[in-house]
Amino acid sequence: MSGPVATAVADGRDVDLADLALDGIVGAGGQGRIHRLRGGSDLLYKEYLEPARVQAAALTELVQLRRGLDGTARGALDARSAWPLARVLAAGRCTGFLMRTAPDNMLWETGAGSRKPTELQYLLHPERPATAGVVRPTPKQRLVLVRAVVDLLAGLHRHGLVVGDLSQANVLWTVVPEPAVFLIDCDGIRRSGARPVLEQAETPDWGDPLSPFGSDATVDSDRYKAALVVGRVLAQQAYLAPGDPLVPLPGVLNDRQDAAVRRLWEQAAGPFGSRPELPAWSAALDARDVIPVPRLRPPPPRPVDTSLFDDRRAPRGSVRLPPTP
Amino acid sequence: MQILPFYLVCDESGSMSGDIDVLNEALLALHNEISTNPTISDKTRFALIGFSDDAAELQQLVDLGEVSQLPKLEAGGFTSFGSAFRVLRSAIERDVPALKAEGHDVYRPVVFFLSDGVPTDGGWEAAHEALLGSAYRPHIIAFGIGTADRSVIGHVATFKAFMQQGDNVKPAEALKEFAGSLTRSIVRSASGGRAGEGMSLQVDDHVPGFTSVSLDKL
Repeated sequence: MSGPVATAVADGRDVDLADLALDGIVGAGGQGRIHRLRGGSDLLYKEYLEPARVQAAALTELVQLRRGLDGTARGALDARSAWPLARVLAAGRCTGFLMRTAPDNMLWETGAGSRKPTELQYLLHPERPATAGVVRPTPKQRLVLVRAVVDLLAGLHRHGLVVGDLSQANVLWTVVPEPAVFLIDCDGIRRSGARPVLEQAETPDWGDPLSPFGSDATVDSDRYKAALVVGRVLAQQAYLAPGDPLVPLPGVLNDRQDAAVRRLWEQAAGPFGSRPELPAWSAALDARDVIPVPRLRPPPPRPVDTSLFDDRRAPRGSVRLPPTP
Repeated sequence: MQILPFYLVCDESGSMSGDIDVLNEALLALHNEISTNPTISDKTRFALIGFSDDAAELQQLVDLGEVSQLPKLEAGGFTSFGSAFRVLRSAIERDVPALKAEGHDVYRPVVFFLSDGVPTDGGWEAAHEALLGSAYRPHIIAFGIGTADRSVIGHVATFKAFMQQGDNVKPAEALKEFAGSLTRSIVRSASGGRAGEGMSLQVDDHVPGFTSVSLDKL
């Protein structure tokens, strides 16, 4: 990649649609179409079907947030998400944005030879003949994948962002050569309380039933959906929800993790506003065992020296006040 | 689980012989798309009924994720709409209660009906009427290609109807678009809908190579 597009992406500056060499549509959804770019670029252009409805400022915020990260954090974000890199404008109006393609190892080949993204849904359903092409995780890798999703979401929450439409379709994953996850449809992410780039539809079976704000993204409904991801992936049950008994697949969790996860799963069934925070899930799923800290016994109370309470002072004197006029 | 059943009712009469393989390939593509998407295949079921001199359930209603082969459509014979509607009705009246008995919430079945000609049996309207009188009256989307009659296609459909655009569109292209439209309908109907609400039937407003037909008014 070179030229004005490359520099604009590097600087997070807007790109003119006329500077993009579009090379065919690789995907389409309700809100937009995804175009490949010519010249072996690893960038994609998401074009909104109704640019008039786009909150361009929300997109600017996502682009600038990435620009504001230090090199290490930005690299980590780029490796784990199709984050909006630069807005695309036509005649001054925002028509979409540029993002990176998903890593090649997060695609799988169907029996008919087509390549499909390895969506989270393949961790929620047992293997079937038609999905045998998906390289499945070992129990230990399954745990690493769950933790990777939780850590990714925790990072976004730390930046004051909410995801909103978290579902079986917008997290990709792989275990080849090692477990990794990749968040897509990132233009639905917004600053907590702010309007998203476009109003998002919520995926069926992924809504927060107790949110007083309906399908609007909130920190607490993100936490609820994170619980759905954790429970559903650990148990390989696509429709499991807090309140249902959670039975993780054998060999995924050790006893400590199992007990901690069950506690949080129970908490996730509680009222809106009380769902477990993401770092709590990270801690519960951590591979590191905990060392129980020996409880310190307080020293016995010292015997009271009653002589201290003896009245050994002279009778108290008085202060003379000036006369009032 | 909420289930939306789809029935593909397909003309296998002799006049289809030139293009039937296109349709078989398109069915493979449909199977590939749905069976590799567990979220969609969980919530939908698919059946295939072929009709010519008479009609047969070539594939009983099934979760496409659970089959590794589909029966082949083969052309030959006349065009008995009446048999198609009778076989369809008995299949629907058997399948819906069976799904309910498994504990599923079943949506009104959706029928994609395809024909390339005019009915060669008398009395097909009575079988069509009996189908629509069923307790599980399906939504019917009808497609006409070749020498199909516009008013017949418009009469068969209850939801949307499409006719192949004149001679400038090859039947093979039209059949591919037909199958693509059916696949999109399955995917969008099963993945759309708002949280907490049910699925709703999604069908293309415009199918490339076809013009929309206005439905019979009752």
